[in-house]
Amino acid sequence: MEEQLRKINREYAFNLSEADIQTIARRAEEFERLFSCLYDIDLSDTAPLLKLDKRP
Amino acid sequence: MAVDAVAATISELSPLLRRKKISPVGLTLLYLERAKRLNPLLNAYTTLTEEQALADAARAEREIHQSLYRGPLHGVPFSIKDNLSTRGVRTTAGSTILADWIPDFDATAVQRLKDAGAILLGKTNMHEWALGGTTINPFYGTTHNPWNVDYIAGGSSGGSAAAVAAAMCLSSIGTDSAQSVRNPASMCGVVGLKPTYGRVSQYGTVAGTGAYSTNHTGLLTRTVEDCALVLQTIAGHDPKDPLSANAPVPNFSLGIGKSVKGMKVGILRGYFDEFTAKEVSASICQAVAVLNSLGMQTEEVTTPHLGLIPAIKVCTSRVENAAAHDPYLRTKANEYSKATLHSYITALLTPAATYVMAQRARRIVCDEFDDLLKRVQLLILPTIGFPVPTIEQCQAGYVEFDGKKIPRQDCRGGLESCAASRSTSQACRRSACVAVFPNRGCRWVCRLSPALFKSHCYFRWRTLTNGSLNGTGADRLCQRKIIRPIGPSGSCPSARA
Repeated sequence: MEEQLRKINREYAFNLSEADIQTIARRAEEFERLFSCLYDIDLSDTAPLLKLDKRP
Repeated sequence: MAVDAVAATISELSPLLRRKKISPVGLTLLYLERAKRLNPLLNAYTTLTEEQALADAARAEREIHQSLYRGPLHGVPFSIKDNLSTRGVRTTAGSTILADWIPDFDATAVQRLKDAGAILLGKTNMHEWALGGTTINPFYGTTHNPWNVDYIAGGSSGGSAAAVAAAMCLSSIGTDSAQSVRNPASMCGVVGLKPTYGRVSQYGTVAGTGAYSTNHTGLLTRTVEDCALVLQTIAGHDPKDPLSANAPVPNFSLGIGKSVKGMKVGILRGYFDEFTAKEVSASICQAVAVLNSLGMQTEEVTTPHLGLIPAIKVCTSRVENAAAHDPYLRTKANEYSKATLHSYITALLTPAATYVMAQRARRIVCDEFDDLLKRVQLLILPTIGFPVPTIEQCQAGYVEFDGKKIPRQDCRGGLESCAASRSTSQACRRSACVAVFPNRGCRWVCRLSPALFKSHCYFRWRTLTNGSLNGTGADRLCQRKIIRPIGPSGSCPSARA
């Protein structure tokens, strides 16, 4: 996670401090744990719900 | 004829405006004067458009005198959240990045209100980029709750809710992705409505102030009747918005006052339970008792996958928002507050596959809610599970109830944002804030969620739902012991100021 963050930091030129990187990485890991439930259910026959552009 | 700005409602004032008993100019001056006087205390407005408002009011007055009456909003003062584009008036989205942006067009909702003859008083404060529920804005200041200025007004449409609650306008338009209309409406004790996705055009809403697939244009008023009148004006298909629903718009006022006997109401369990304060639970129980006394049939309901909602909500909203901000993140990152910037950067770390998984899970949850709403016509649940927090608590990052301190991000919300969305012509579910419950000098609200495009179910609830700030609605709720007056007089100090 940290490596990916450092890459984004360079690409976007955020100039994040080391403390910022640690904070964001920690939060991203929290989100990863939160999102893990999405992989725990059987979604094999379920299509994503998307809002379709209804223009003709 | 003298108007009591604090007690007045659109539905009461409209006939008087039409019959020329009151003047649009006089009414505009009255609300402008209150807005100017109370804004240093509440910080509800970021911009007041006094000169244009008075010119528009004068035109409305001329038209009404020439019998060119446009409808129930003709001459009625309103405000707009600062993320809806307004022609000739700066639109900041609560950020310095757009501090000098003056659009040359109106959002469709704004245009429709202007076409109806309503008078724009100004733009209201909001959470930075609508990314939060407090309206503690590092650039434009904190909006304070009119019922107690030590407390937050909620957000992200906090300025709109405070302005309506403190009678600094009669109605306001906001946006709601994850409670951004309903949360501040509940905290300020006014009516808030998140209409079904597609019912009100999103054209003109600043990109990046709400997730693409969950953000709705919503409204805040002082009574349910007013809510129906304003929704009637802004609803309807808009060819400028590709996701606008080309569905018939019913007469929202028709059901008001009709019997609710026999309606089936589901008391949603399993989502808020562990995040609900005892006081809120007790208030919901009281509200349910009232529903039963009105002849409604209430039953406890739930769906199997409620536990997925926080993940779906967070993933959808963060990723879609970050995508919208990509150009600014690359060029103006130093103009975000640290918290907001960190939030978007965190979202950039979310794998694309996870976003797709969230949308797949979202379909499961939506289908379950669709099935549930075939059994019951409405759901009742807390808008927020805890008492309104103080500004100080929010700045420290927690809310406190029942002797517990809970990090704010752990508190649940946004159920309708992701749990109730559909593909093609129908999308997100509507939800409305209604009954009013006081606590520690502030108020919160339970909310009702009918099925998609079933607005009449909501507006039929007027008997219960007229729990806006003052006047007969609140009085009725007091009589039913749903609410208790806050102070000796039950009045709002700053609103009465």
